[in-house]
Amino acid sequence: MIVGALVLAPIVLGLALYALPHRAARAGKGAALVIAALIFALVCLESQAPDVSLRWLSRPFAAAFHLGFGPISYWLVLLLALVTFSAVLVVRGPRARGIAAQLLVLQGAMNGLFLAKDVLLFALFWDLMLLPVFLVLVGAGTHGRTAWKYLLYNLVGGLALLLATAAFGIVAGTTDVIGNPALQAGIGATWGAWIFAGFAFAFLIKTPVFPFHTWMPETYADLPPPVVAVVSAVQSKAGLYGFLTIGVPFLGPEMVQARPLMFALGLVSLVYGAFVALAERDAKRVVAYSSLSHLGLILLAVFSGSTLAYAGALVYIIAHGLFSAALFIVLGAVEQREETRDLLRLGGLGARNPQLAGALMLAALAALGLPGLAGFAGEILILTGLYRAGFGWPAVIALLPIVLAAAYMLRVYQSIMNGPEHPDLPERRDLTWVEGLAVAPLVAAVVWLGVDPASVVAAVMAGGAHVAGVR
Amino acid sequence: MSPAFGSFPVGADYAALLPMAAVACTPLVILFADLFLTGGGGVRRGVAIGIAIVGLVIAGVIEAGQYPHDYAAFGGAFIEGGFSIVFSEIVIVATVATLLLSAGIGRTDQVAGTTALLLWSASGAMLMSGAANLMTVFLGLELLSLGLYCLCAISARSTAREAALKYLILSSMASGFLLYGSALLFGATGSVAFAALAAAPMTPLFALGSGLFLVGIAFKLSLVPFHAWTPDVYEGAPLPVTAFMSVVTKAGTLAVFARFAYAALPPDRASAILVPIWVAAALSMVIGNLAALAQTDMKRLLAYSGIAQVGYIVAAFAGQTALGLRYALLYLAGYTFMNLGAFAVVELMSRDGDAVVGLPRFAGLAYRRPWLAAAMTLFLVGLAGLPPTIGFTGKILILAVTTGAGYAWLAGVLILGTAISAYVYFKIVRAMFVHVDLAHVRDERSRNPLPWLAVAVCAVMTFALGVFPLTPSNVLPLVK
Repeated sequence: MIVGALVLAPIVLGLALYALPHRAARAGKGAALVIAALIFALVCLESQAPDVSLRWLSRPFAAAFHLGFGPISYWLVLLLALVTFSAVLVVRGPRARGIAAQLLVLQGAMNGLFLAKDVLLFALFWDLMLLPVFLVLVGAGTHGRTAWKYLLYNLVGGLALLLATAAFGIVAGTTDVIGNPALQAGIGATWGAWIFAGFAFAFLIKTPVFPFHTWMPETYADLPPPVVAVVSAVQSKAGLYGFLTIGVPFLGPEMVQARPLMFALGLVSLVYGAFVALAERDAKRVVAYSSLSHLGLILLAVFSGSTLAYAGALVYIIAHGLFSAALFIVLGAVEQREETRDLLRLGGLGARNPQLAGALMLAALAALGLPGLAGFAGEILILTGLYRAGFGWPAVIALLPIVLAAAYMLRVYQSIMNGPEHPDLPERRDLTWVEGLAVAPLVAAVVWLGVDPASVVAAVMAGGAHVAGVR
Repeated sequence: MSPAFGSFPVGADYAALLPMAAVACTPLVILFADLFLTGGGGVRRGVAIGIAIVGLVIAGVIEAGQYPHDYAAFGGAFIEGGFSIVFSEIVIVATVATLLLSAGIGRTDQVAGTTALLLWSASGAMLMSGAANLMTVFLGLELLSLGLYCLCAISARSTAREAALKYLILSSMASGFLLYGSALLFGATGSVAFAALAAAPMTPLFALGSGLFLVGIAFKLSLVPFHAWTPDVYEGAPLPVTAFMSVVTKAGTLAVFARFAYAALPPDRASAILVPIWVAAALSMVIGNLAALAQTDMKRLLAYSGIAQVGYIVAAFAGQTALGLRYALLYLAGYTFMNLGAFAVVELMSRDGDAVVGLPRFAGLAYRRPWLAAAMTLFLVGLAGLPPTIGFTGKILILAVTTGAGYAWLAGVLILGTAISAYVYFKIVRAMFVHVDLAHVRDERSRNPLPWLAVAVCAVMTFALGVFPLTPSNVLPLVK
């Protein structure tokens, strides 16, 4: 019941917000905030909630509306609840009601994705989560092309996923398999490669990974800050989550076969993303390309076959979610004040806006992997895992972009906060307490996870017996 | 002849004819009642529509009560059972929706006549859904088409006459193909019964006959490359008639095709004979969607989208599996609701029910009429095959059976077509949600509130069928 409510309540209540009058932006935001807070509380309190399952199809393969927490998905749902709460806090403008509503719908759809224990249900929510982001992009209306690019790229991936799911169902006889160790027999050689290709195509587009990333910088740049915080923090993890929960247990041999290719793509994303981030002028696009780089590292971990690297992947998934959400929220606050994101035009804000500067500094430090913060914990686990699993060279190459991260993150901070004050920039107020309230829990979680990643690591290590079956 | 019909009772079983007779006789009541109503206005329309809906509901109830049983009439030429009942119910639902959309097509003094023609067309489609020999197929097809020729021409626009003429000529040609094919099949086997065809030896004459028969079917289903008439006819006909054609003509023809493919063709040769149809279905999915990309008139857009959607349904028949038939029926039911819902929304956006509704009319609809925009989004999302609709569930089931039957290439083409179609449908979604200056948008509203009922029912069914995909289980034995 509880897990069902985690999926349905945000969607239904989010849609119900549309019943409020069009102009009631404050009321809409307030209601959405209460809902988001309640859902966060529900996730915190009900971590042991039992599964719910309803039969959906019996032929040509069995499928069920089967939802439940798993060792990895619990953390992602918790992350999503926290980020959604923060994002709803910073929703503003005349379209606040609509954006807050779409954030809740998005949360429900992604909760469904992470809680799904059925591959077909996973595919359903995979496609469903496209809609709120597409509608927000259409409503934002900055560039008409962006919404199409987002939709078509991700839908093509979703259709490949759908075809692969149908084939998976036909071969396995059931899709109600996620988290069920008794059914991890593998798909077999004839179909396995094709099914894996379909899943991998969808996952790589969503993450995204080079060369499927071209939709991402534009989407991130055009989305309103609260929505891009959620998309970058959580939606981009859907593909990696898919590799961990569907790929590793059921398509293990295919994952090993695909390892050289995936390592190559991951390393190219890592290096390419870092260099582009160094050169970009638009602050949001810097963070977008830094995501490409960071997620490339997680892709290496996912395909390494090492349990330690899996644990690092989960820690880094959460860490990246926390600091990228914080970065986008703070950059949104900067953009709202100065009406530009151009790093060459901004400058010298730090002197008069110490709190804004502090928030950006903390988020940037987490992103560049400062020891003691969550990013470092994830990186060190992944690199150690890679090295121990015998992938010395990839680990060494992966070190370089991690160093570059310091350069581009500090460049963002420096260009916005330091330097002489620009007289043509409007002078606005410092970080408001509402914005501070949105960033504070994210930063606190970054510190907590950096100091004590053990509880998250334990989640993977406990399930390690079946996850580690790959190697 | 009786051995050819297997276990079916021979003779006239009037129970089999009862639902179709109810639909076919209702027009007589309507025409008779209309004699006593000479005034103009709402009463005359209301009486005609009311009687028609009552007649259809009675037929639907009788039909539903017959579901567990099999009946046969005219020496096995007409078989009533699970298979044909599902098709007939779809026809009845679509006809009721058409009546709600139209509230009487044409001038007040024409309403009784047009309603009667609509019901006779519907009874033709019901005859096709139960037709088990070549003659009843032709009879049903002509009964369906004759009414539609008149209905296409009912409005005063010049495009209406063009549409009617085009439909008449091309549809007659299709009937010609079908009839010639039937004649050759009779010549090859000495029987017009589907069951007898299945037992016949394969001769060149048989192959030619079934080929011509299938060409006629492809014409009526508007599969590529026999689709060119569809957009023009849909554009010219009044919107409710277009909605009717887009579902009922396709349902009736699909019933004939399914029975022909499953029951009339010898199983060992069917896969070879039907290959061109699978290719046509594949072409329909791709070309139908590609052509829809360029359309801005809603009726033409939905015409091309319908071409592609029928391609998806036909793909489910590939390999003639029992499950394929069930999922084709499920998807057809879903398509009925999604498509009729979309037409009902379009109807609600035009004041006189007969205007051209183009894409610009949808600009900012979400901010003017949010409920209508929400419903339209659901229908379009469903047509595009996205959750949470029957479009998603139906498509995954079709993908699964098609792949399972060894037609993975067809499933691949289906995915390709769906990818293209996303742009078609989301073009409208985007128009509805984009922020525009509402002062520059024509905001027309229908004076007839009844389409709202159709929109509501279709929206609920589009969602509910996706979550509970009820598939009729006792379909297959009745084809054989």
